[in-house]
Amino acid sequence: MINANATVLLEVRGLRATVAGVEILKGIDLTVRAGEAHAIMGPNGSGKSTFAKALAGHPAYEVTSGEVLLEGKDLFALSPEERARAGVFLGFQYPVEIPGVSNSGFLRLAYNTVQGARGRDELDPLEFDDFVREKMKLLDMDPGFLDRSVNDGFSGGEKKRNEILQMALLEPKLAILDETDSGLDIDALRVVANGVNRLLTPANAVVLVTHYQRLLNYIVPDYVHVMEGGRIIKTGGKELALELETRGYDWVLEEYKGKTGAEV
Amino acid sequence: MSLTTTHPYIEALLKGSRDLPQSPAGWLDARRAQALERANALTVPTTRDEEWRFTDITPLTRIHFQPAQSVTRLALSDIGCFIVPEATVRLVFVDGIFVPELSAVPDSPAGVQVSTLAEAAEARSALLEKHLARHVAFENNLFAALNTSYLRDGALVTTGKNQACAAPVHLLFVATQKETAAYPRCLVIAEPGAECTVIEDFVSLEDGAYFNNAVTEMVVGAGARVRHVRLQRESLNAFHIAHCAVTLDKDASYLSNTVTLGARISRYDLNVAQNGEGAEMRIDGLALISGRQLADTHTLMAHARPNGRSVQVHKTIVDGAAHAVFNGKVFVHEGAQLTDSSQESRNLLLSGRAHIDTKPQLEIFADDVKCSHGATVGQLDAEQLFYLRSRGLSDASARNLLTYAFGAEIIDRIPVRSLLERLERTVLEQTQAAEPETRS
Amino acid sequence: MSTVLENLVNQPYKHGFVTEIESDVAPKGLSEDTIRLISAKKNEPEWLLEFRLNAYRHWLTMAEPTWPNVRYPKIDFQNISYYSAPKPKKLKSMDEVDPELLRTFEKLGVPMNERAALAGVAVDVIFDSVSVATTYKQKLAEVGIIFCSISEAVREHPELVRKYLGSVVPTGDNFYAALNSAVFTDGSFCFIPKGVKCPMELSTYFRINTQDSGQFERTLIVAEEGASVSYLEGCTAPKFDTNQLHAAVVELVALDRADIKYSTVQNWYAGDEEGRGGIYNFVTKRGLCKGVNSKISWTQVETGSAITWKYPSCVLLGDNSIGEFYSVALTNHYQQADTGTKMIHIGKNTRSTIISKGISAGRSNNSYRGLVRIGPKAEGARNYSQCDSMLIGSKCGANTFPYIQVHNSTAKVEHEATTSKIGEDQLFYFQSRGIGNEEAVSMIINGFCKEVFQQLPMEFAVEATKLLGLKLEGSVG
Repeated sequence: MINANATVLLEVRGLRATVAGVEILKGIDLTVRAGEAHAIMGPNGSGKSTFAKALAGHPAYEVTSGEVLLEGKDLFALSPEERARAGVFLGFQYPVEIPGVSNSGFLRLAYNTVQGARGRDELDPLEFDDFVREKMKLLDMDPGFLDRSVNDGFSGGEKKRNEILQMALLEPKLAILDETDSGLDIDALRVVANGVNRLLTPANAVVLVTHYQRLLNYIVPDYVHVMEGGRIIKTGGKELALELETRGYDWVLEEYKGKTGAEV
Repeated sequence: MSLTTTHPYIEALLKGSRDLPQSPAGWLDARRAQALERANALTVPTTRDEEWRFTDITPLTRIHFQPAQSVTRLALSDIGCFIVPEATVRLVFVDGIFVPELSAVPDSPAGVQVSTLAEAAEARSALLEKHLARHVAFENNLFAALNTSYLRDGALVTTGKNQACAAPVHLLFVATQKETAAYPRCLVIAEPGAECTVIEDFVSLEDGAYFNNAVTEMVVGAGARVRHVRLQRESLNAFHIAHCAVTLDKDASYLSNTVTLGARISRYDLNVAQNGEGAEMRIDGLALISGRQLADTHTLMAHARPNGRSVQVHKTIVDGAAHAVFNGKVFVHEGAQLTDSSQESRNLLLSGRAHIDTKPQLEIFADDVKCSHGATVGQLDAEQLFYLRSRGLSDASARNLLTYAFGAEIIDRIPVRSLLERLERTVLEQTQAAEPETRS
Repeated sequence: MSTVLENLVNQPYKHGFVTEIESDVAPKGLSEDTIRLISAKKNEPEWLLEFRLNAYRHWLTMAEPTWPNVRYPKIDFQNISYYSAPKPKKLKSMDEVDPELLRTFEKLGVPMNERAALAGVAVDVIFDSVSVATTYKQKLAEVGIIFCSISEAVREHPELVRKYLGSVVPTGDNFYAALNSAVFTDGSFCFIPKGVKCPMELSTYFRINTQDSGQFERTLIVAEEGASVSYLEGCTAPKFDTNQLHAAVVELVALDRADIKYSTVQNWYAGDEEGRGGIYNFVTKRGLCKGVNSKISWTQVETGSAITWKYPSCVLLGDNSIGEFYSVALTNHYQQADTGTKMIHIGKNTRSTIISKGISAGRSNNSYRGLVRIGPKAEGARNYSQCDSMLIGSKCGANTFPYIQVHNSTAKVEHEATTSKIGEDQLFYFQSRGIGNEEAVSMIINGFCKEVFQQLPMEFAVEATKLLGLKLEGSVG
């Protein structure tokens, strides 16, 4: 939903970042307003996941220049947990398995920490149990998940549902979903996408990092950005995704080279 | 027997053993005398001995520990916090001496017979003669020889053929006097098809230095099943040296959870011999130490017959300037085909001054076996930390949570609910208190 | 099925012949006089004699180690001849080399002369204890590389030898290293100056010929700043009934950013099916990564010797330095191997990798023994070890003894070990696809060892694969 007057949630200007000394992001500009859904597409190795992780503050990515503002505040001044509390949520491409930490305990701790930071009431274990079970219904999740260790032994689909469950609990302003569709069969994809759709409001926004158009059949983006060589080289509407699906990425690249004379 | 060559320290330790009253069983006196002779002939191990390479027991040899001369009067309320509600049978030893007033031995506990070794030496002498001091060899083992020299009392737990005792048996060893030595002794016999749970629990009401030198023997009959929980929460100035030997008959199973929290220097040797086909063992251990503690665990899983299974996970969490040692051997004898064994040594160093020596070993003399072992030493996983932080947890609480989870994996397998919960709290408190020095 | 496998691994030793060359042999026995004799025969400078005598005096105070998992009758060190050399003859070119000797090398398949040129290998040949021919010296000299026998190096480059000899393995390091330091007769010396990448693989062939002569080579390789070299060592020995002692010392020094790769294929005589005869191979090999970003890599394929006792090690002193150890050890009959490595992490961000593959057959005993030590100052050190064993038959043993000592909380050490066998179902699967047992076993074993063979230079990889094939070749029942 595009509303030019809506609040700017995320402002990315000239973002450059390196991993182990290699520059992966080479100047990214992006503006995300409340209520919008953005899709970032691009071939493997174009820097999509790096962008997502850099926004969440992954320690392996070093930001070398540029700035990122979350509701006007410098995002890079914040630690990963402060970003989470401020409303940034990263849905991991490969959610980490943490044997020994119970999922219910983890979810409650995360929920209460973020609630506390936002000056809201925390829930005791019993209240939380009721609350989380309601949320799980949204995602068609078995309550048995609560008794298991975080992502430990979960199937690919189960892990992704667990990510969206966390999104539902933490109510982020800006959700960045990194390849949330990978490894999902069509039924699971529908459940996960419906879950995300229900969480979207005029006050928040989502950035979908994806490889394939199929997720965008379920979560319809307002903007589609094509990323290559660490830059956004084209931006369009939802129809761009369909065009990419049929024509591939090469033509975008050619067009970009023609326009800028740049080597990508 | 010549006493002239005896190590002066050993001689000092043995001082009290000659004053022991005669046992009603002649064979017991004879076995004690053999042990005394061996103790006199052996020397105190040093770091030059391969088995003691990383564990320097010099601090132990600075004090001439003697058995307690008097019994400390304790009320049940003094040990209230150690009571395990699930256990209907409880034997309490204070500084090595059996205290009937603190113990609980119901007249007819279901399935299991529990008595002191002193009682049993009269009533069940033949059974004792067959097993007591037969499984932990003392010929070349100073501490086992010392313990056996002092053998006079202890605990006997027997479970009859095809009997099952659901409630655990709690053997509680309380230390109350400094500079004393205690020589706890246990014998557990599970007849064929029997099932029981035994908790050995070493606790302290005294902060000073004392010495516990324990020996436990377990005989698990065909198809029998023994769960063994061993909890070492001695004072932080104590010395704890213990041996446990387990013999498994055909299709027997032995499940052990060992938690090491206390003692300045502790050493635990667990030898499990699979002498019957198809026997299985599952050995879990956790050492959570800090300050200047040293915790050394040696285990031997010996497969002598085919189709045996063994699984071991040993974990250590080492903070401060503490030092953890693990030496685990899996031995597969010739002919023990189709043995399936796995062993893992997982270690977490929380401080720059902490250190670890780990040595998992495989010795295999049969070709059709599946054996593996693994060892890791490291810190908390960086990806897991980031994941937790990206969900709003602070760096410190993410670290605490992961450290706790590391230990909880072992604790959670303890088959006694109240103990499990109590230990979970202990581990939680310890891992929260430990503010890690290293930061990413 | 297991008898099939046992037959497979039984095959005669192909390098068992004695070369009839007149040797100059010192009388048996060891004393300060023996050492003075060796030193005098080689016209050594006074400092080297002192080096030897110091080592000897230290050795007298030491006891033979008992901790390795190997058993053998007591060695009578007075019943060994410590010096044996072909009658001295000045050699100006390859043509002057004894044709009998050249035929020996031909039988061994040593790439020399024209064949050496084709293979691109420079060979420093050690025949018993004296280097008799060095090829490609000229070509190497053009880029400043010194590659010669250690005796020659003592004469021509005494300052270099004196600077580095014993700097990695001190004379009193261990019982056999001390013995070697006292009586070493010859060996190879290699010096790669600053910034030079050695243009070819350097290779040495060791061979023990005279019965009852101990072989005590000394190898010293120094790579200066930014230099790199790949060095190959091959060993064979003829068949004798009495055991022969081989106690070599190899020292490697890598300065800043230098890179040394040392590869060995060891096929000393292993004794017969009854366990008679065979070489005692008690070797000390150690590399010092002295400079920052330096790297030392050991690769060994050990198929011979009655007893092997050997731990090629890396001392990672320089920050960011790298140590590697890749090993295949195959034991058969009554062979005993206790081999592995030591990775001593001292500098920051040092990294080490250990890949060890043990194959036991017959009544042999094969042990991996490894030490990974992370010192208190080795911030960010990493080690990964993988030790896999394979048993063929039910009379052999496979053991794994890793020692892990960590004194730094930022270090990360991972060790994994597995044991497996060649299963009947595997062989059947091959058979059902038309592959015979012999080939199937060879394929399975080569697959098992692949990670190590990949580390070997091409010529050696082929040789190693062939060698394992030979060892496993035989009548399929």
